[in-house]
Amino acid sequence: MMWVWIVLAPILGGLVYGGERVLRARMQRRLGPPILQPFYDMFKLLDKRTLIVHAPHALLAVAHFAVLWFTVAAIFLGWNLLYIIFLHLFAQLLLIVAGYSVRSAYSHVGANRELLMVVAYEPILILVAVGLYLVSGSFEISEILKSGGYLMQLPLLFAALLMIVPIKVKKSPFDVGEAHQEIVGGVEVEYSGVFYEFLYMSRFLEYIFIYSFVYLFGGQSHWLGALLVAGVFLLVNLVDNATARVRPAQMIKIIYTVAMTLAVLNLTGVLL
Amino acid sequence: MDMVLALVLLPIIASFLVLLVPLGRAQYVVSGVVLAMLSGIAFALYTSMGLLTFQLSYTMNLAIIVVDVALLLFFLYQGKLFNHPKVMLLAAIQLVLYGYIESIASEAGSAEIVVDSLSKFMFLIINGVGGIIVLYSVKYMEDEPTSPLKKRLFVGGLLVFLSVMNLIVIANSILLFFFLFEMTTLASYLLIAFRNDEVSRANALKALWMNQIGGVVILLGALVAIIGFKSVMFDTLLQSSGGMVLFAIALLSMAALVKGASIPFEGWLLGAMVAPTPVSAMLHSATMVKIAPYLILKLAPALAVSMVGGLISIIGALVFVAASYLALSRSVLKEILGYSTVALLGLMMALAAIGSEESMNLAMALMLFHALSKALLFLSAGVLERLHHAKDIEDMKGMVTRSPKTVGFILFGFVSLTLPPFGLFMAKLFAISSIASLLKEHPFNLIILLSLIIGSALMVLLYFKVASALLSAPSDVRASEAVTIPSGFYVPLVLLSFLIVTGALGYVMMQHNIFIVLLALPMLLVFALPSLIRRMDRYDRTQPYHCGEKEPFDAALVYYEPSNKVQLLLYWSFGILFVAVAMVGALS
Repeated sequence: MMWVWIVLAPILGGLVYGGERVLRARMQRRLGPPILQPFYDMFKLLDKRTLIVHAPHALLAVAHFAVLWFTVAAIFLGWNLLYIIFLHLFAQLLLIVAGYSVRSAYSHVGANRELLMVVAYEPILILVAVGLYLVSGSFEISEILKSGGYLMQLPLLFAALLMIVPIKVKKSPFDVGEAHQEIVGGVEVEYSGVFYEFLYMSRFLEYIFIYSFVYLFGGQSHWLGALLVAGVFLLVNLVDNATARVRPAQMIKIIYTVAMTLAVLNLTGVLL
Repeated sequence: MDMVLALVLLPIIASFLVLLVPLGRAQYVVSGVVLAMLSGIAFALYTSMGLLTFQLSYTMNLAIIVVDVALLLFFLYQGKLFNHPKVMLLAAIQLVLYGYIESIASEAGSAEIVVDSLSKFMFLIINGVGGIIVLYSVKYMEDEPTSPLKKRLFVGGLLVFLSVMNLIVIANSILLFFFLFEMTTLASYLLIAFRNDEVSRANALKALWMNQIGGVVILLGALVAIIGFKSVMFDTLLQSSGGMVLFAIALLSMAALVKGASIPFEGWLLGAMVAPTPVSAMLHSATMVKIAPYLILKLAPALAVSMVGGLISIIGALVFVAASYLALSRSVLKEILGYSTVALLGLMMALAAIGSEESMNLAMALMLFHALSKALLFLSAGVLERLHHAKDIEDMKGMVTRSPKTVGFILFGFVSLTLPPFGLFMAKLFAISSIASLLKEHPFNLIILLSLIIGSALMVLLYFKVASALLSAPSDVRASEAVTIPSGFYVPLVLLSFLIVTGALGYVMMQHNIFIVLLALPMLLVFALPSLIRRMDRYDRTQPYHCGEKEPFDAALVYYEPSNKVQLLLYWSFGILFVAVAMVGALS
């Protein structure tokens, strides 16, 4: 049964992405695209002539997608949370190296920023994993989902997680990585056709990845988990509509001061 | 015992051979044979069981005292020669202390030489990695603009150094340990000053006086041990209990902090980067500085769950973050690697000082895999320096078009330090879960955990920043034909890469956990990518998008530099922490 979900994960993520575009449009009192728009885009991309800069660059995008899918599969199978975080790091680094491997200023700046984003959110993700471990006694997702009460014991850690969700789903104020108006999509700029489609689908998987962390805070109660995901989803889009993009250095500073302090305070509280 | 003796004597014999045989092919043969024999013996010892002990004879002890005094007098003379008061002062203090201790030292109760499982493990690192570096240095020296005699002396010196290292890890007497510690200091001093220009000389003197602080604290530790327990043996010290034990242990671990170039002593290791690359690889990343975590591991039974041990692990963890951060301000590749060595040594010491069986095993794994990866990186940096005269990462932009294979080795080195399934990454991963499991009993470990997490993230930034320089190519550089790596360089690099891969495989298999094996899948995928490249021929190629600009492309690198004020604060706080180790030791 789980295998079906794993296979369908990109489609599920695509629906979330499509739903998000509808939601944002409604927040701005626009009609917005249909919810299936991401899939229409995909079919369109398949139709396009594919141009590549060089072979390793294009292949790294495929590898990025494959590793990300593997990561999401690991989440559905209830693996160790730390392994999942590092598998995700692996996927990100493949994309970053791809960004560096072409002689395009936009791609390079984009890769630089992706790297800074990794540095910003990675410690918080691990601290979230440690927090869940301290309460549940295990790093395994399947074990974590068997007990509950995370939100009561780890409220500040949850807030820290909330702060890094916009980084992962590339929403304001932390959408520095693609920043379309500044760096033309960053690492994505040199991809086209079928290879861009892989990057496009990776984005769907990123949604699943980061929102599963939110879901974990629900513990054994599926309803609470779903409610949290829906709430965070709304909040992130609200913030996205209401804020402007910060500079990469500011992002690091905000995450390292505010989010880190919240997380550490919470962990200290749990320990003492 | 014969095998241990062979490990000590073989390098010395080989160093005489290196002085005699002609330069060129014969040198390769000697160093190759030595590498094969030493690593073979080390491996055989590693798989053997049991504890070996050996007592030195009276004349041997006397000879050691004579050589040791001569060594300290030599330091004193060097201080006078180059008018360096700190060197003179520290050498004089050591002479007085050493003389006093030898005069009151009783006849040795137990054996001066003990070969335990930790020593056997160290043999693996020293002889395996060290041997490969010696092999590399033969080729490196061929291109060095210096006299043939100095070239021979250089390779011979590295070999003698291997013998010293093999001895230091089996020394059970603190005084013998002190003697060998000073020998490694001497090796640092001579090899850093090898090029004999002004900068080298100044940095060598810096290394000399800083390392002598280590010598002084070892002697103080020995003094405390003698006064308290009438013994200068590590094993008696570790078995005894009482007020003074922790004080002696604290003083000895301070020597580890000095040798491991923890902040504020990281200056000597950074300065050592002016030396020829094999020196940086051998002394300042792969073998000599490993004395630091080794010493802490040796003392760990006493350090565990004591205030001193807690302080050492906190210092180590903070050094891990601070050094990773400071590395972000540097642009010379060897200095970046030097800082990351300082950082990882801090992490190893932190894990060793926690003293649980799991964390000690992790510290050992980190030592082994760090030695392999760092040796690979340093040797590759040396290749870039030799073939392309590039030391600064700003000059290395677009190196991938000029020297694709070397860049491949460097990237592989970075990947082996940061990603699954390679040993160093795995050890860090296990360290996170191991420390997390200790958090409930020892909440202070949160500092170590936090440092580990943030430091690792900063290191990813550091390594991939360098990678970005190597991969980026300014458009005004015409792609020149790729320079082939001479086999004198190529063989050591391939050997190290091979060891990294097999080491990782072995380590992953050792865990008996199917999920950890699965962590290797992404890496397999990446290794499979090159086979797909042919298939990409059917897609049309295009030029990168420049938004209509015709400016030459030059991507800037990320630098973070703390302000002077912050830096000063950093040094002072680490200095205070360093002194605090002794005070906590004295009080507890």
